[in-house]
Amino acid sequence: MSASDAASPGQPPPFEGLDTISEPVRLARYAVDDSLPTSAVLATGISDVERAMADASAAGLAVIPHGGRTMQCLGMPPQRYDTALDLSRLNRVVDYEPEDFTITVQAGMTLSTLQQQLAINGQLLPLDHPHFEQATLGGLAAVGRGGLRRNSFGGPRDWLIGMRMVQADGTAIKAGGKVVKNVSGYDLAKLFSGSLGTLGIIVELTFKLRPQPASDQIIAIGAPTLDDAQRAARAAANAAPFLNGCIALSADAAAEARALGARLLQDEPTIVLRANGLESAATEVLSHALSAIREVGVDRPERRTSEIVETWQAIADLELQTPNEHVRLRLGLPPAKLVQAQVLLDGHLNNPAQWIIAADSGLLFVSTPRVDADTIARLRRELGPLRGRLTIESAPPELKSSVDIWGPAGAGARLMHNIKAQFDPQTALNPGRFVDGI
Amino acid sequence: MKTPTALVLELIEAIGEDAVVWHDEDLLVYEYDGTIDRGNPDVIALPADTDDVSALIRIANKHGASVTPRGAGTGLSGGALAAKGGVIIGMNRMRRILSVDAENKTALVQPGVVNLDLGLEAERHGLAYAPDPSSQRACTIGGNIAENAGGPHTLAWGTTTNHVLAVELVTADGEVQWIGHDTRDEPGYDLVGCVVGSEGTVGIVTQALVRLVPRPSAVRTMLAVYDSVRDASNAVSAVVASGIVPAALEMIDKMTIAAVEPVLNTGFPLDAEAVLLVEVDGPESQVEAEGARVESILRRFEPREVRSATDHEEREHLWAGRKGAIGALGQIMPNYYLLDGVVPRTKLPDVLDAVYEIAERYRLPVANMFHAGDGNLHPCLLFDEREPGATARVLDAGGEIMRVCVDAGGAITGEHGVGLEKRDYLPWIFSEADMDAMKSLRAAFGPTENFNPCKIFPAGHGCGEAGHQHHAQQQIAKFGPKAFV
Repeated sequence: MSASDAASPGQPPPFEGLDTISEPVRLARYAVDDSLPTSAVLATGISDVERAMADASAAGLAVIPHGGRTMQCLGMPPQRYDTALDLSRLNRVVDYEPEDFTITVQAGMTLSTLQQQLAINGQLLPLDHPHFEQATLGGLAAVGRGGLRRNSFGGPRDWLIGMRMVQADGTAIKAGGKVVKNVSGYDLAKLFSGSLGTLGIIVELTFKLRPQPASDQIIAIGAPTLDDAQRAARAAANAAPFLNGCIALSADAAAEARALGARLLQDEPTIVLRANGLESAATEVLSHALSAIREVGVDRPERRTSEIVETWQAIADLELQTPNEHVRLRLGLPPAKLVQAQVLLDGHLNNPAQWIIAADSGLLFVSTPRVDADTIARLRRELGPLRGRLTIESAPPELKSSVDIWGPAGAGARLMHNIKAQFDPQTALNPGRFVDGI
Repeated sequence: MKTPTALVLELIEAIGEDAVVWHDEDLLVYEYDGTIDRGNPDVIALPADTDDVSALIRIANKHGASVTPRGAGTGLSGGALAAKGGVIIGMNRMRRILSVDAENKTALVQPGVVNLDLGLEAERHGLAYAPDPSSQRACTIGGNIAENAGGPHTLAWGTTTNHVLAVELVTADGEVQWIGHDTRDEPGYDLVGCVVGSEGTVGIVTQALVRLVPRPSAVRTMLAVYDSVRDASNAVSAVVASGIVPAALEMIDKMTIAAVEPVLNTGFPLDAEAVLLVEVDGPESQVEAEGARVESILRRFEPREVRSATDHEEREHLWAGRKGAIGALGQIMPNYYLLDGVVPRTKLPDVLDAVYEIAERYRLPVANMFHAGDGNLHPCLLFDEREPGATARVLDAGGEIMRVCVDAGGAITGEHGVGLEKRDYLPWIFSEADMDAMKSLRAAFGPTENFNPCKIFPAGHGCGEAGHQHHAQQQIAKFGPKAFV
């Protein structure tokens, strides 16, 4: 159904007066898996989003919100897709009170622009996301997952204190506020964070902030094998619980990160540690971690760099640097189970590559050239006792047609469907892309 | 002799006679929590396990009786009061710490576990449970989850919502489900994030998997004494703006000191206008350097003195003065009304001035002891309810104070919840559409009309004349219902 077909006789066509795109060649950038929309709306203000959603709702159109499109790979193929709602022009700072350590921004602002603005005042938002120069804050919240430093800093949910959203029918609502502690009404910002755009369109976000640390340090230590690197990283995480990052990389992941700008790395299995705070404190934490690494027999000399942000971002970018046509898996599990999970994956996957293991956070990324639905099912079954959850982050469409990228929604599925029915009764938003067919 | 109703008989059949309280004189203690409102439950049921909770909810639903969950009853918003009578489900018998996983830094607990007991158990494993409300010697984890409780040490670590990973939840229809995951990797909506802070209006938590945090190797607790509240609150703003995130940053004013000092002998000078308690923690070297920097900031605002606790005992002593403050206020007046406004931190000095001005205008003594670093105020209005008109004056003053917080860009509650007490003020910060969206979320959890009714949202049908609604309505009339929407 095209947008113009959907209009009832006598009604103006949807999106009249909004900045829209309908030429197929310009719509190509809004492809999701193999689907293309018939129109795109470029919103420049919240009122545009309200209008667009009200029109889409009246015309029964299915809408997919777009930010920087760094994570559009995540999700099942859409069941329906009529309109792309592009939020990238909603990129203003709405309100910034440095002394309150809070900022309110529009959803289309990129993470790197935000960090630049905050850096002027010696502040930051301690969240990692691949391709931060492109990833928008609305998208980051909609995906809603903690990154490589989540053991220290949690995820978007933990930094969001307020949100403004436009509901499926075009009604604008807000949740939370601009204070760092708040229990006035239900925490809808938590509900929308991680909802993958299936409940409404996030248009404005308020974050609490952190001061930039006086000192931020990274060291890298080569290891003979990935197993050694991972064991050493686990030992470091146990010995130095105040590390702000503790990662084991396989040799090919280290090589790729180096190609992306992490000059610290060489083409070998590597442990990367990060610590911050006052200089003496960061040094103290790293020295505890290093002793633990030496104790498990990894004795190659540590390397240091002053290019902290570039190095760390290159490692974060690996998540989206999947070799062509490879399938990228993400595992989350209690950190102490990581070693077992790695063995399991190694046994079941065909040529697993580019391992990234956040040893303190219980996160593991790995890619593989090929995987079938049976293998995924078996892995999920065997990860069950380890309390592991496996998500397929990116995969060719043919694999997505035979396997649920999210895995079973568990006992909460009933409540999730109820919530979806309440917030998007016409299933107009990102239909079918989320958990359990939502 | 009172005759048991059919509802009572069925509850007794389900969980046993010793677990059901229904005689009038026994119900009295369940009429109160920490607020000045009252509720009159018909019966109290004390489940031993999850199946009991599910059965109790189903029985109540069958009889059309409302259900109100209750922990220790220390709540400060009327959340545990039976606003429409019915059944109170008291979680106090489910009070076991089921396991601690030190390597993965989690603990599995029942909801009736007392906050401090979990803290002490975590300490045995070299860890800590971060949320530490002042009522932590009595309040329970289930109640903490309901209200998204905070405490002095949530400045650095965040409130309860940042520390609950998964819960077993019995929803308003009696269904049992585990939601969430050990490392927040459960695919789908953040149901745990919805349940924490939902004030017991969508279900009852019967188990919780909580996050524990590493214990810092060093701690320094400082006491700074000021001759003016303004200087103290400016010092707070300066510490926050400096980029240091202290573990705790608390203010205690003169009225509070007057109550605390004779009882607890904490060493707070009786003639000081305000004292600040500031704590920094972390690795030794960090604590040494940050402590020195904090001290120099505190000294910029002309304190009478700044001193540090030299040992664990002295530190505990200082904290006892803060955490025991509310209880000690009974020294001054028999009743108190404790507010929970929260404002952007730079607005603290002005808002505090306004709080003192309002209290004076209403001829009410006010004591302030609060989480200054978070911008979370706890003005405590002192009164004697036997004095005619006193309660009304307190409620009016409370409404004005909340209004000042809202006008400063803040909110009506930071960690106590809206509950019964502040529900009529919710339209000051949320539009009809905002509240409708919240109600949609509630509806997703089942038939919740009778589940902890009359809480959070402005009065609904049959919610009766709870103590101060009339006053709230007057405040609304004065400022307009949508003045800040």
